[in-house]
Parts: sequence; structure tokens; C-alpha cells
Amino acid sequence: MTRNRMLNLSERWFRLLHRLYPPDFRDEMGAAVVEAYMDRACDALKTGGRIHLIALWVRAFVDSLRNGAAERVRPAALWRRAGAWGRDIELVRRRLVRSPIFAASTIGTLTIGLGMFAVVYTAVQKVLIDPMPYKDPGDLYYVWRDYGPISDVKRGSVVGTDILELQKANGVIEAAAGLQPMLGGIFALREGAEAMEIAVTRTSPNLFHLLGVAPALGRSFAPDEIGRAREQVMVMTHHLWKRLGAAPGIVGRDVRLQGRPFTVIGVLPPDFSFVRNDAAAPPQRVDAYIPLAVNLAEPDRRGGYAGLIRARRGASPGAVAAAVDAVGRAVDARDFNSRGLKLYPVGLKADVISRIRPALVVLGAAGLVLVFMLMLNLASVLIARAAQREHEVAVSRALGANTIAIVRSTLLEGGLLGLAGGALGALVATWGTSALVALAPPDLPRREAIAIDSSIAAAVIAVGALLGVLAAAAPAVWAARVSLSSLLAGSAVRGGGGQSRWRRGMIVAQVALSLILLSSGALVMRSFERLLRADPGFRSEGVFTVRVRTPPEFFPQTSDTIAFQDRVERALAAIPGVTGASAASALPLTATAFYEERITIPGAPGNTGDAEQDKALTDIILARAKYVEVMGMRLIAGRTFTESRQNGVTEAMIDTAIARRFFPEGNAVGAKILLGERSLTIIGVVNQARLYDIHADGRPQILVRAEDFGARPLFYVMRTTREPHSLLPEVQSAVQRVDPRVPVGDARAMDDIVQASLSPQAIGGTLISVFAVGALLLAAMGLFGVVAGSVTRRRHELAIRLALGADHGRVLRLVLKEGVLLVMAGLLIGAPGIYVANRLIRGLLVGVSPSDPLTLLAAALGLLLVTMVTCYVPARRALKIEPAQLLRHE
Amino acid sequence: MGVDRNRGIDKRLPLRQVEFHILLSLASGERHGYGIIQDIEARGETSVPDVGTMYRALARMVEAGLIEAAARRPALDRGDERRNYYRITSAGMRVARAEARRLELLTRAARLGGLLPKGVK
Repeated sequence: MTRNRMLNLSERWFRLLHRLYPPDFRDEMGAAVVEAYMDRACDALKTGGRIHLIALWVRAFVDSLRNGAAERVRPAALWRRAGAWGRDIELVRRRLVRSPIFAASTIGTLTIGLGMFAVVYTAVQKVLIDPMPYKDPGDLYYVWRDYGPISDVKRGSVVGTDILELQKANGVIEAAAGLQPMLGGIFALREGAEAMEIAVTRTSPNLFHLLGVAPALGRSFAPDEIGRAREQVMVMTHHLWKRLGAAPGIVGRDVRLQGRPFTVIGVLPPDFSFVRNDAAAPPQRVDAYIPLAVNLAEPDRRGGYAGLIRARRGASPGAVAAAVDAVGRAVDARDFNSRGLKLYPVGLKADVISRIRPALVVLGAAGLVLVFMLMLNLASVLIARAAQREHEVAVSRALGANTIAIVRSTLLEGGLLGLAGGALGALVATWGTSALVALAPPDLPRREAIAIDSSIAAAVIAVGALLGVLAAAAPAVWAARVSLSSLLAGSAVRGGGGQSRWRRGMIVAQVALSLILLSSGALVMRSFERLLRADPGFRSEGVFTVRVRTPPEFFPQTSDTIAFQDRVERALAAIPGVTGASAASALPLTATAFYEERITIPGAPGNTGDAEQDKALTDIILARAKYVEVMGMRLIAGRTFTESRQNGVTEAMIDTAIARRFFPEGNAVGAKILLGERSLTIIGVVNQARLYDIHADGRPQILVRAEDFGARPLFYVMRTTREPHSLLPEVQSAVQRVDPRVPVGDARAMDDIVQASLSPQAIGGTLISVFAVGALLLAAMGLFGVVAGSVTRRRHELAIRLALGADHGRVLRLVLKEGVLLVMAGLLIGAPGIYVANRLIRGLLVGVSPSDPLTLLAAALGLLLVTMVTCYVPARRALKIEPAQLLRHE
Repeated sequence: MGVDRNRGIDKRLPLRQVEFHILLSLASGERHGYGIIQDIEARGETSVPDVGTMYRALARMVEAGLIEAAARRPALDRGDERRNYYRITSAGMRVARAEARRLELLTRAARLGGLLPKGVK
């Protein structure tokens, strides 16, 4: 082997060995190390030949192994030796373990507080902030019609020709689809199989293309799959497919909808969720989609559509609004003689969440306030804790301890506490969110999305850690300033160092914040209580309801429908424990009327003479005999629908709103209403059974006899002396006996419906009250600590006062005064904050003014009372001071 | 200030053997790592530090400000190669002197204690 080859080999060996060092050392020194070894190798070859060279290889190997390993562990050693972070963490950990009560109570408070924050944050994030799961969801809009000039409908449905115009607009608007609910939805896997009710939406065939969603199985609708002449096809959601057993061969299978055959052509992906919005009804979840039965160009009298458009990518909302408005103007000129009916877009998400948004915004703000309170609370606890170590800190600083190290360990303590609280809070919130979702109304938009995920958990933990570090900043600054001389000066006058000033400031801030939360909570709860006491126009207790559909496929003639409905009603009335049964086309508080018409009452004294103005837009409710009695509605004048009907007379009842408008003098009974071509005779006046909001009358209502029209479907109502839900099996078998093809749907007690309509307010009210009480407790805890600390600190002064003849009452007042002053300062500072908060909660309040003086006064007095009690308990310690004993001991 | 500086120096003493050798070599001029090793061998030291030990010590001492990297210059014997040269800083010089004094005192003590023959200067 030549000398050069030996040297080459050596170099490779040395380069290999130098990989044993850590990269940063290699970058800095690696080349030089190899170089130096090569020099040695040259020398070794010269002096001792190959033997020496090989000895050098071995030596280099041992050297690299030893020094490479040593260099690799050096950072850890350095950290332990000089960086001291590791040591600090260890010290903080030990300090916390040594005071388990402090650690547990602090972490417990943080866990509960941050857990609540996490629940609210999750809801806000998932519902308000996260984008909808479609392609470019920001470019999707619903389109509604403002019927302003001709009726009070501001958010009305559009008609088929509007959708066509939107599709033809071809500028900013890229695509448009029309959606409408399919009334009915009796589904069976095959002829004669068990029937079930599903929610079906009819749609333009381009819906899925417009949303940017492709089916997981099969295909979506072809552009020409529209209209009755086409083969009937269906796309179902993943959820429905799973409910049916997730059979892989579902695509291509024939199923039955209302007894008619439909071919399943596709199944949507599992993460697809779509809530169909409606002009007059709450948003509805969808189980299956079928194409529209009519061509959009054909005139269609059966209700309108929700228009859904996709704007050109990135088009500004203003541009979209202008484009839709331009279409609206053209349609207005063509169809409405330019009376000023408008079309307008609303962002898809904004439209879906509009009902829940105000509550979530308030809750989000309350959550932030709570986190701030937690921070103040933790800060004052940490300051108190640091004060206990005042001597230790002062002495170690006097002995030359590093200021940075003291600050660092204080910050670390706060950060670690916050971290632990955040982690546990996120854990608690995983249960909290599922509890919240269980409480939430089923039509809560994006309800299925509400769950903690890893990024939310990480954010909550980060908030916890940040909160901890920020809270520790005050005690850290304070600890850095403590010196032996300040300590001596402080102890000479027994005033306690600057820490109590910090703590008092924090108490004032906490009292102020809890006043804001408490007053908001009190207002929301008061408004909720108002809702609970509101008279909705019916008596809900002891009423059970089911929906029974009568699809035209099963009951082609109106007379068939009415006969079937008669038999069902008789069967239900015969169930033991049912004292009355009836039915109507719409149930109160479900925000769905199904029929709305403009009526006139010719010759009524309230008419103005202007034909347009004298038409009244009313909700038409078709009701069977005894509906008013079974529902517990109040009859004001005349009589109700009875079993017997006069031939040739179509009976109707009006509500007090119509009665007041058309018959200001009363005597409405007997007058005739024109509804389309039909003439109805008013037989009675009732108080509205409210359809929409529990606290206020909605649109005027007319009740007409279902027996005259054959409405489908009907909601049957039964008044019972039993627990309402216990009726269900008997109701099911009764309907089954009448017609086995027809399932019973939507079984609910009227009480459930009332509760569901209150649930947004109930959730909002409960959460905000919990926040407010939590805030109050935090403030009380802080106050307790300050007063207790003050008694301990001032015990000498108090003892001297007692020794000099002050009575106990005087001393007690002295101590209490300190607490009261803090609370008063907090109240004064918090008062303006109430007005800021009120702007936010205004949207949540019903029947209560945001500056309702009684409620605000009650909140302030409640706060004062609670804080007084918290002051009094520790203040009583002052009474236990034995002056003689205490002073002797000093 | 002077007090501070001396305190800093005292904190560094005693130096590790390889550190003192490095300072000693660099005190008489700039050298590269292998040059220092050769110096140490020339001094008749029984345990010559390994290359890795040497360069780790150099890295630490640069960090501590006792020595600094000098401008690179071509190695005379290997043509195009360039290598790291080091020179001693004034702080390094003070530390080296202090260490030398300490060793001198120690040697004197050893002599007085009979560990070394007396009278030899």
C-alpha cells in the first residue's frame, strides 16, 4: 500500500470519527480536528511507519469517542451548572409539593375557570370563527327577498324565476341554486319495509357542485336531472346511510319515498354537513337530497325557494350585493311593476348563525373577562405567597443572589401553575363541551362541530401558561425590589411592604370586573325569567304531540286525507288517560306556519279604503275541532270549532291583532274573510298561540278548519292526565291500526317545545350566571385574603389600640373599613364598565332594559353584601386578639 | 474595577493542564492546534493531550475570552490547506501569569516540604 493511499484511508477514518461530535462543534472545529489528525498521521508514518499509523487510528478512535460524548452532554451540564432553569423548575416543583393545599386550591380554581373558558372558546371558535366545510366558503351566499313595499316580510323566499335570473347573471355570480324542503319524507328501504321519517330537501341539480363537495360513493345530480318527467334519483348523507346499515351496495338501489321509487345515486362524505336555511322556518338538517320536481321556469305556486349562490372567487361582499341587487331590480321591474322589492345576499355562515351569534359574542366576552379575573386572582395569591417569603428573598438578595434568578423562579411558579390549570381545564372542557352540546337545541347551527380539538386544547393550555406568567409578573417585580433595607424599614413600622398595595389594587379591579359580569348576568337572568313567565297563549303542561303525514301518494284525494285524519283523531282520543285530542297544521313555538296568505275583510270598519293597505299578511293555521280547548288557548269572543259543521259555511277564528285592526269596536263574529277565492265566516276571536317568540305576538293568525281543506301533514295534540311521553307506544299502535304505511314522527310534549324554544336563552343565561358567580367568588377570595392578611399584619397595632381602651366594636369597624373602601372603589370603577357591557348584551335581552335600575341596583347590593360577609369573617379574628399576651410575647 | 478583574482571574484558577499548555504556547506567538500539540511534546510533557481534547479546550477558551482566533494563513507544509490559528488575549495573558505564579508558589512549597531538592533555582 502506498503512502498516499494510507493517508487517504486515514483521512476517511478521521472524517468518520469526527461525526461523533455534536453538529455545532463540528461546524466550528471539525475541519481543524481532521487537519490536526492528518498532520499527526504524516508524522506517524514518517517516524514509525504503518504500525504507528494504526496505533494513531486507535488512539483517535478512543479520543473521539470520549471527547465527542463529553461534548454532546455538555449543553445539559451547562444548563444544570449555569443556566439554572432546570434547578428553578425543580425548586418550584418542590415548593409546590411542600404546600399541597395552596397548589391544589390554585390549580383547582384555574382548572374550573379555564375549563369554563375553554367550553365557551370552543363554541365561539367552532360556530363563529371556523369556516364552513365547503370549497371557498366565503364566496357562498343565501339570497332572500325583501318584500318591504308590499308586506312586512323582510327576509322572504325567492321564486324559481329569480333563481334562473341569478344563474343567468354571469358576472360576479358564478352559480345559483334553489332549495326547498320536501313536505313529507316517509322513507322505506323497499316496498313494504318499515317506514321512517327523514328530512328531504329538493334542490337544483348543481347544489353539490356549487358547494364544491363530491359524493363519497356514487355521483351527484347531472345538470339535466330536474323536473317530474325524469327518473327519480336521490343523494343521501353519510349519516342516513349509516342509519340504514351502511350497506356498500346502496348506490343504484331502489328505495321508496312516500311510497314512490327513487334510485340512490350517491352518498355524501362523512364530514359533509349542510343546514338548509328557510325564509320562514328555523334552519333544517337534511338527510337526503332529491332534485326539484319542477323546472325553475315553470310557474310554481307551492311556496318559494331559498336561493344559494356562489360568487366569483374573492369577490368582495359589496360587489356580490351589487350584482344581486341588479338582478333584483330587473325582476322587480318585470314582475312587480317596480314597486321596490329587493333581492339581497347574506353570507352563508352569517345567515346560518345569525340567531345564535349575539349570545356567543356575549359569552366570548364574558369568558375573556373571566380569564382576566383569574389572572388577577392568581396574581394576588402569588403576591401573598411571595410576601411569606419576603425574609428569604431579602436575605438571599443581600447575600448576592441573582435578581434574575429570583424573578425567573417567580415567573416559573406562575407559569407552571397556569400550565397545569390550562391542561386540566382543557380536559374538563372535553366533558363540558359535550354537556353543552347535549343541552343545545337540536337546530343549533353547526352543533355537530362543537368539540375540543388538539389546537383548541393547545390554545387553552397556552392561555393558562401565559396567564400564569403574567400573573406572576407583579410578584416578580415586587420580589426583585425587595431588599434588606426595605424589609427592615417595613418591619419597623409593621406596615408590610409594597405588596399589600399591589394586592389592594387587584382587589379593586376584581370587584369592578365582577360587578360588570354580575350586572350582565343579572340582566340576562331577569330577561330569562321574564320569558319563563311569558304567556305564550296556550297551556303546555300535559299536552303530547305527534306528527302524522298524509302523503298524496297514499291519500290522493282530499276526502281520503280527511277521512284518515278523522279516524286517527278518534283512535287517539280513545287512548286511556287522554282527555281530548285534536290536530293542527302548525304547532306553537316551532316558528313554522307552512301557510301564509294575504286576506281581506270586505266591509270591516277598520278598512282604510286603500286596497293594497287593507290586505293583511297572516299565518294560516288549519285546526280541527276542539283544538283551542286541547291547546288551552283563550277564547275572547264567539265560539270555537266544534264537531258539528254547518253546510256551506267555512268557519274561521281570528286572533286579537286582526280583531283590533279590522274591528276596533269589537263585534267581529259573523263577518266574512276573503282568502283567495274562498269566503270564511268568523265564528270566534282567540288570543294568539304564539308561533315564533314566546314573549311577543308574531304575525297575525287565522285559524281555519282543517276538515274543510285537508291539510297535510297534521300535528296531533292530546291533552292527558298521564306523563305525556308515556303515551307514545299507544299512539304509535293506534296510528298503525288505522294505516300501517304511515309512521308517527316528531313525538314531543308541548313542554319540550317550550323548553327548546327557550334553550338559547337558557344556555346563555346559565353560562353567564355561572361566570358571574365564579367572578364574585374569585373577588371574595381575594378580599378574604387581603383582610385576613391585614388583621395578621396589624395585630400589634390593634393590640395596642385594645390595650389603650378601644372596644372591640371599634377595632372591628377599623378592619372592616379597609375592606369596604376597596369594595366601594371597585364599584365606582366598575359602574362605567356596565354601560360598555350593556351595549354587548342588548341583543340578548327580552323585555328588560339594559339599564334596568332595579336589576343593576340588586347586582351591586348583592356584590356589596357578599363582599361584606367575606370581610367580616376574617375581621372577627381581630376580636380574638389578647392584647396583654400578644404584647408580652414581643 | 481592578478588584473585579482579579476576582475574575482567581475564579478561573487552577487552570486545567491542557489550558495552561495552550496559553503557554500562545504566549510566544500565534499557533494552530497541531502546532500547540507539537509544542507540548517538545516540552517533554509525558501525557500529550489528544487532538479532540485540544480542540474542545480551544473552543471553550475562545468562549471564555482567554484566546481568540487569528487570521487564517496557509499552512507552509501542506500547500493549499488553511487552518485555524489562535492568539492569546490580554485576559488570557493575565490568567496565564496568575497560574504560573500559583504553580511557582506550589513548587516553592514543595521544595520547602522536601519533595524537591533544595538549592536548585
